[in-house]
Amino acid sequence: MNAVIDVQHLKKTFNNETALQDVSFTIKKGEIFGFLGPSGSGKTTTIKILTAQTDKSAGNVLLFGQHASEMKQSHNRKRFGILTDNSGLYTRLSIEENLILYSNLYQLSPSAVKEALDFVNLYAERKKKISQLSKGMIQRVTLARAIMHKPELLFLDEPTSALDPVNTQHIYNGLRKLNAMGTTIFLTTHDMSEAEILCDRVAFLHKGKIRAIGAPKDLKKEFGSDTITVELKNGEQEIIENGSQDAEKLYQWMQSDQVTRIYTNEPTLGDIFMQITGSDLV
Amino acid sequence: MNISMTRIQAILMKDYKEFSRNYAVSTMVLLPLIMAFLYNRLGANTISMYFLPINMTFSIVTTYVQCSLIAEEKEKNTLRSLMLSPASLGDILIGKSLFVLIVTIVSVTMAIFLVGYEPANLFILAIALLLSAVFYIALGTICGLFAKSIMEASIIVLPVMVIFSFGPLALALSSAYPILKLAEWLPSSQLLLLAEALEGKYSMADVLIPMITIIVWSLLSWIFAAIIYKKRMVD
Ligand SMILES: Nc1ncnc2c1ncn2[C@@H]1O[C@H](COP(=O)(O)OP(=O)(O)O)[C@@H](O)[C@H]1O
Ligand SMILES: [Mg+2]
Repeated sequence: MNAVIDVQHLKKTFNNETALQDVSFTIKKGEIFGFLGPSGSGKTTTIKILTAQTDKSAGNVLLFGQHASEMKQSHNRKRFGILTDNSGLYTRLSIEENLILYSNLYQLSPSAVKEALDFVNLYAERKKKISQLSKGMIQRVTLARAIMHKPELLFLDEPTSALDPVNTQHIYNGLRKLNAMGTTIFLTTHDMSEAEILCDRVAFLHKGKIRAIGAPKDLKKEFGSDTITVELKNGEQEIIENGSQDAEKLYQWMQSDQVTRIYTNEPTLGDIFMQITGSDLV
Repeated sequence: MNISMTRIQAILMKDYKEFSRNYAVSTMVLLPLIMAFLYNRLGANTISMYFLPINMTFSIVTTYVQCSLIAEEKEKNTLRSLMLSPASLGDILIGKSLFVLIVTIVSVTMAIFLVGYEPANLFILAIALLLSAVFYIALGTICGLFAKSIMEASIIVLPVMVIFSFGPLALALSSAYPILKLAEWLPSSQLLLLAEALEGKYSMADVLIPMITIIVWSLLSWIFAAIIYKKRMVD
């Protein structure tokens, strides 16, 4: 079986409050899978269950073909890496000292620390104490720690939420490189453009339920109204279907040289999320 | 449980670096040493006086430091991150306890030297001190696991420190209040009774009863620590 993650009918309740209900999805080896949803929709809870930090209430959760609870085993912990909003870094230690600790816990070669620092563009700042770093830098250190042992599977819980555009771009490039080397990535975000740029497939999570799942372009095809706007010389805007049925109209306008501008109204993932769930992503 | 020397050593080194830069906690080590020095100047010459700074080391250095190190790991979420790495709970607790044990051994040795205590049987006393340290580390572990924050930890650890380190004092008052007779069975009282016995002609029982009592306390408290861990750390 080549499903790295297989979740079926997952349910999670916290003292009678349902956080996840009937969540099912599978992630294939080498995929970048995005979990999209507003705050409180259950993204972090899903990651906690997948990484054996908390127990499910019902359902079936398999990683690498084993039950999620097996992820507590030392040898399984080496197979995944995780970045969460709680950095869990030692604030009195430097960036480098934190990474050295983890390289020893994973029993890596000394070069792993430098490679990880280069990955997040922090080698020059490695001697700085964590207590002196900005939120964005802390997020990069946490990412370095998450990828240092070259895991097969990477969990990223809102990985770029505190980053500036330059570092976001740097991290995107790095993630694509990791993915090209075979790393499967499960990422959560409420940033639709991030999902669109990075993900092979996405799931829309809303109030603990998956409302849609698929490749961004397929979701757009399925749910987006696929139209084209044509601006005419008389100042009018005509909206036509993107298909053969309206091709004749467009041909007429062009023949009579009336067209000033044509553009497609391809919806963004955010538009589709809004359309399906009736709510915004923030 | 899966335990690795490399990982234990990594945890120990990390704890050493963090501790040496955490002045609020690391300067606590000096208190019993200052006490030992002052008692010496005041002319300490009885076993119970010698043991005042020694017991203080166990409560302030051993129990308090272990407790606050664990509480801080919880408050700052570093423990959760460690638990997501291949480090097992065994690696983490052994690494940290080993560090606190080293600090305790150095502090107790210095306190004994500063207070001017020259034990008649150093070998037996050293074993009893080592066993006591194991107990006080467990006590600190329990307090640290109980507390949700560093603040809470320093409040929880206070009564615990008072009960366990002032056993010998309660013993002195037990003729007036018989209920305090119970304090005789505290590890700190047993340690004192052993040390006093060692100065004269002692029987097998004089050595074994305190040793076994301290061992039983250590075992029970480590078992209790394991139970608390299961209750507190799984959500
Ligand atoms: N430990 C917990 N105890 C009680 N409720 C929780 C706990 N963790 C999460 N929840 C609830 O579960 C829901 C999903 O939370 P979460 O997974 O953190 O959402 P997200 O990561 O998408 O913002 C929220 O309603 C939250 O209040
Ligand atoms: Mg979250």
